[in-house]
Amino acid sequence: MSHPVARNLLRDSVLLVLLILTGFVMSRLSPDFLTSANLLETTRHFVEVGLISLAMTFIILSAGIDLSVGSNVALCAVMLGQACAFWRWNVWGAAALALGIGTCAGAFNGVLIAKLRLPPLVVTFITWQTFRGIAEGVSKGNAVSSFPASFAVLGQHSVGGVPTQFLIFIVACVVSYIALSRTQWGRFVYAIGNNEAAARLSGVPVDRVKILLYALSGFMSACAAVILVSRVSTARSDMGDGYELDAITAVVLGGTNIAGGEGGIIGTILGLLIVSAVRNGLSLANTQTGNYPNELQAVIIGVLLIAAVWLGRRVQK
Amino acid sequence: MSLTGRWWTLASVLLLCGVSGAGSPVPQNSGKRIRVAMIPKLKGISYFNACERGAREAAEELGNVQLIYDGPLKGRVDDQIRIIDNWITQKVDVIAFAANDPDAIAPTLKKARQKGIHVIGYDADANPKSSGREFFVNQATFQAIGYELVDEMARQVGPRASVALISSDLNAPNQKEWTKWMKKRMKEKYPQMKLVAEKYPGEDRQRAMRMTQEVLNAFPDVKGVWGISSVAFPGAADAVKQMGLKGKVAVVGLSTPKDMRPFVKDGVVKTVILWNPVDLGYLTIYAARAVYDGTLKRGMKSFKAGRLGTVKVDGDQILLGPPMKFDRSNIDKFDF
Repeated sequence: MSHPVARNLLRDSVLLVLLILTGFVMSRLSPDFLTSANLLETTRHFVEVGLISLAMTFIILSAGIDLSVGSNVALCAVMLGQACAFWRWNVWGAAALALGIGTCAGAFNGVLIAKLRLPPLVVTFITWQTFRGIAEGVSKGNAVSSFPASFAVLGQHSVGGVPTQFLIFIVACVVSYIALSRTQWGRFVYAIGNNEAAARLSGVPVDRVKILLYALSGFMSACAAVILVSRVSTARSDMGDGYELDAITAVVLGGTNIAGGEGGIIGTILGLLIVSAVRNGLSLANTQTGNYPNELQAVIIGVLLIAAVWLGRRVQK
Repeated sequence: MSLTGRWWTLASVLLLCGVSGAGSPVPQNSGKRIRVAMIPKLKGISYFNACERGAREAAEELGNVQLIYDGPLKGRVDDQIRIIDNWITQKVDVIAFAANDPDAIAPTLKKARQKGIHVIGYDADANPKSSGREFFVNQATFQAIGYELVDEMARQVGPRASVALISSDLNAPNQKEWTKWMKKRMKEKYPQMKLVAEKYPGEDRQRAMRMTQEVLNAFPDVKGVWGISSVAFPGAADAVKQMGLKGKVAVVGLSTPKDMRPFVKDGVVKTVILWNPVDLGYLTIYAARAVYDGTLKRGMKSFKAGRLGTVKVDGDQILLGPPMKFDRSNIDKFDF
């Protein structure tokens, strides 16, 4: 089991079995779990974190980290609300502005990391605070809720019974998968994560790839923000709190090595689905018996994470 | 039995049903067992724990209500929405919410209404229009709190004293409303009471204390200070205590008994005004049952809620009643 592709395949198979097992247990705990209505509705709750986890997979593969994503969501959401409510912009124009701002905020992280050679943990920890600070300052803590009804199409409507945002997520998954496994750019990401110095020597444009990675992460945060605002018809500066940890959870549970170089998109998607199934299933079971409160869900996800990291280590040997 | 006899029996049975149906409300334990799902703004804080305790008491008393209680561990709006969505999937019978954001929660509540689930609010309302919620259990009207603050001050310092007000931010919605009613009460009932200073320290206890000290230095004739937020009240009490004015300057205000207990024990503060969150939770469950049974509908002026007796209803507002006062005699019984 030395070849990375074979290791990925093994890891993803284990995760798939784990997901099926989780689904089985949850359907035992609550008869409402394994219904198409519930499963489709549940997708609405993980798409925002899901989009961010896709970008986070790239970044962790390159041996980086982006802690600022949740705050970036707040920043983009607040700017969207400001433009729409106070500058009287068309809501789609405001959404485009939010995407632009999110991407720039991400690129800003990238420039500091690539050009100034600052550690990603430090840079994004600082912007984690700064972005939210700006969001709070701009909104002055006030929520904006005056969005036109047509804006709900992204977060509250369905296309052929499937939530709109889930379709967007599927497209994002396919694009991410292809970009990572079928393009030169994807190979660059792995190369940087495995050995940055060696990658640099063999001609990989390390700085450019890194800036692009963090800009992409910012773009995904902005997409998440637009969908989230559409879903709850509200823009607030406390949105996206903790998303960075939810995204990292999905990536690590998905078997991507936190030190970079190994893992992939499919693992992240499976990780995301497992976390979501546990949360949704236990929540439903809790309604029936009262035995599975929120607190327990956090513990079970923690146990799953430890198991995933331990298993990942085993597979690598 | 002749045919006419049978008709008579049938008619009298119908009549009896009609009479019992119209004369007395449906007996509380007769309805089918229902599931009421209750969500606080935040789980695990003493205020909402007290609400939950009251709710459990009511559910047990009614005997035909299964209470489901869950909420976000942090104040995240999307967590609240996720939990409510799951309840909609499970088709609970009634959802009782305390909104973290009045607008963000609205589309989800609307969805619940469309699926035929009854929805009522308590403690923190949602946008009544966009959420379509049926009732809001109001813990205390702004008017009742405002009036009680002024009446209590008059009781402690007399109707002709000079007083000062320590508030929150200039734009804080609750404080703004309370102050409006306080001023109305003063004008109408205590025209000689003189409000010499109004200060806005924001949600900052240290600033509240400093501003109170400034006011007391600048106006030595001030006999009473209102602190009308959960930080302004202890801040003002601190100032009075440190300046050695205990017993000379009264401090009246609005906060939780837990925060104010040391000052009440100390004698700096005589009474704390608030409502009883245990009763709030209790009333919410009775309201949920009554809304489900149809014994509480829009346009009604009151309904019966267990040990709280007849509770007033005003439009879509269910009123918990007059504010509650906590003093040395009862403050130890409340842990929120």
